[in-house]
Amino acid sequence: MIRKTIVIVNKLGMHARPATLIVKAASKYRSDFRIIKEDMEINGKSIMGVMTLAAEYGSELELVADGVDEEFLIKEIAELFASKFGEE
Amino acid sequence: MKRLKGIPVSAGVAIGYAKIIEREKLHIDRKSIPKNMIEAELKRFKDDVDFVVKEIEHLISNYSYSKENEEILTAQKMILRDPEFSKRVTALISEELDNLENAISTYFTEITDIFNNMDNEFFSQRLSDFEDVAYRLLSHTLKKRKNLLNKLDETSILIMENISPSFVTKVFEKKIQGLCTEKGSKNSHSSIIARSMNLPTLVSTIELLENIEENQQVIIDGNKGELIISPTKSILEKYEKIFQQENAEKEKLQKLVNIESKTIDNRKIKLMSNIEIPEEIDQVLKYKSEGIGLFRTEFLFIDIDELPSEEEQYKIYRKIAEKCYPEPVIIRTIDVGGDKFSKILNITHEENPNLGWRGIRISLENIPIFRQQVRAILRANIKGNVKIMFPMISCVEEIIEAKKIIEECKKDLKKEKVRYVEDIEIGAMIEIPSAVITSDTLAEECDFLSIGTNDLVQYILAVDRDNESISKYYKPCDPSVIRSIKLTVDNAHEKGIKVAICGEMASEKIFVKLLVGLGIDELSVSPGRLLIVKNEILKCDKKNAEKLVAKILRKNTSDEIYQLLIK
Repeated sequence: MIRKTIVIVNKLGMHARPATLIVKAASKYRSDFRIIKEDMEINGKSIMGVMTLAAEYGSELELVADGVDEEFLIKEIAELFASKFGEE
Repeated sequence: MKRLKGIPVSAGVAIGYAKIIEREKLHIDRKSIPKNMIEAELKRFKDDVDFVVKEIEHLISNYSYSKENEEILTAQKMILRDPEFSKRVTALISEELDNLENAISTYFTEITDIFNNMDNEFFSQRLSDFEDVAYRLLSHTLKKRKNLLNKLDETSILIMENISPSFVTKVFEKKIQGLCTEKGSKNSHSSIIARSMNLPTLVSTIELLENIEENQQVIIDGNKGELIISPTKSILEKYEKIFQQENAEKEKLQKLVNIESKTIDNRKIKLMSNIEIPEEIDQVLKYKSEGIGLFRTEFLFIDIDELPSEEEQYKIYRKIAEKCYPEPVIIRTIDVGGDKFSKILNITHEENPNLGWRGIRISLENIPIFRQQVRAILRANIKGNVKIMFPMISCVEEIIEAKKIIEECKKDLKKEKVRYVEDIEIGAMIEIPSAVITSDTLAEECDFLSIGTNDLVQYILAVDRDNESISKYYKPCDPSVIRSIKLTVDNAHEKGIKVAICGEMASEKIFVKLLVGLGIDELSVSPGRLLIVKNEILKCDKKNAEKLVAKILRKNTSDEIYQLLIK
């Protein structure tokens, strides 16, 4: 299992498009993927889960992947966040 | 008899019977199932979801021209494929013994509650997309999905609360008489499509749904903006007469589709279309327009939260270019006023936006945005039938600057080994008086010129065309306007390039002869006006038109000119 903490750096926060991108990327991998924000924990492969996080600019998220390809999953998702989902 | 006021979207009278299409309230039967039914119910769940996903995929590949639309549909598909959704519904069925519709509706209610409790506006806006997909699935599961279109035929006037652009296209295939909605605005995408189809349409019809019943006889008066419900005999007779006249006219025009647009004395006048959104392409092809003389790209930039990418623009431009091939497509770069752009570009309020930051001025000061658009256009020109046009040109430096950027983009594309065609024609919109006066210089730098008469009239006469209190000063047949067109045409022809008119003047019957006489090479009008204008061109003799122009040029007032034109 790997954990990684990231901060939302795109101004608009995690609206529908980033949520779609995250779920699409995560769903390619076999590992379980969860996202934790404060006291909320959701399935990172669930679009409704990711959207209900309502994560805004500046919020801190913990990414947790568990499975055979966990490293690759975390790497790709972290890069997505860092790239600001292609905005700006 | 009742009369309701509405906003007319396209002119014309329609008489028919009201067919109301609205979302039914779904009744969920909260039953539990016996244990031996669990397997069957789970199988039904899988099948229903698969069915609706397929349906959405069909919509994505056939009806989604905009990125926003595609994103919504993709998100809806993901909602149906959401592992948590499947987990929750499976649990409700196998543990709580809920029947399928009960389980689905429980899940959707739970999610809706979470959404409603969020204070983030962004997400509450998404609720309607979510409800839409919930409705789609549930109505399928309940086998409530009748084919709504079945009840429509050529006697129908469709009544809806609101209508989506793809639905307008579908109902048009049913040959309905007219369309009337309670919501909607004159320039929504749905309205633009209805207009290019010449479908009599009213939107924003006040208290429509509470006043109308299925199968009532109704009249749409698209000229006055009125819906008449259960007309009296004399009113009906009056409208039947108008309808027959209009219909005879329509049928006559329809016969012109395959006739080439030229004058009696065999002078070619190229007749092209102005389009605002890609969906209008169907009408462009149907009326055999000779290409697109003005493809406005503002729809990509207005009311958006983020800029369209180069890739997204490229795909749309390419689709249109391919559909029109071998006819040309003239793509105009962004022509919005700063006010509409404010969400993205941080623009402060302008005292006088018409004389402010708009058109090419915005492009040349936002080079990354401009380059993206130019690259997308260059890449879309795979078959060489795409041209590029710049709006609001006020001096030759702007054209030179814009051309420099085109060359830079070409160099980059070459370096990146991206496919594009080296030769692309470049044109300037002539709509500012300074551009008219220096049109000789502009003609030297351009491959064609296109006169935007709406703005030209407004700038030459200093009349705001949206200000009703001064509307009598907005005179397209003022000598100053006509001399400006003449000067532009003469300068362009001297340099051996063509001139088009893409403003409203080109689509007014009375001006066609004038424009032909002035030597205009191409007219570009909205698809719904193509045949009307073609009819005028066919009736026109160029030699006579030139004589008329000679007479007009000697007149000093717009009144005298108007009298000559309507003779």
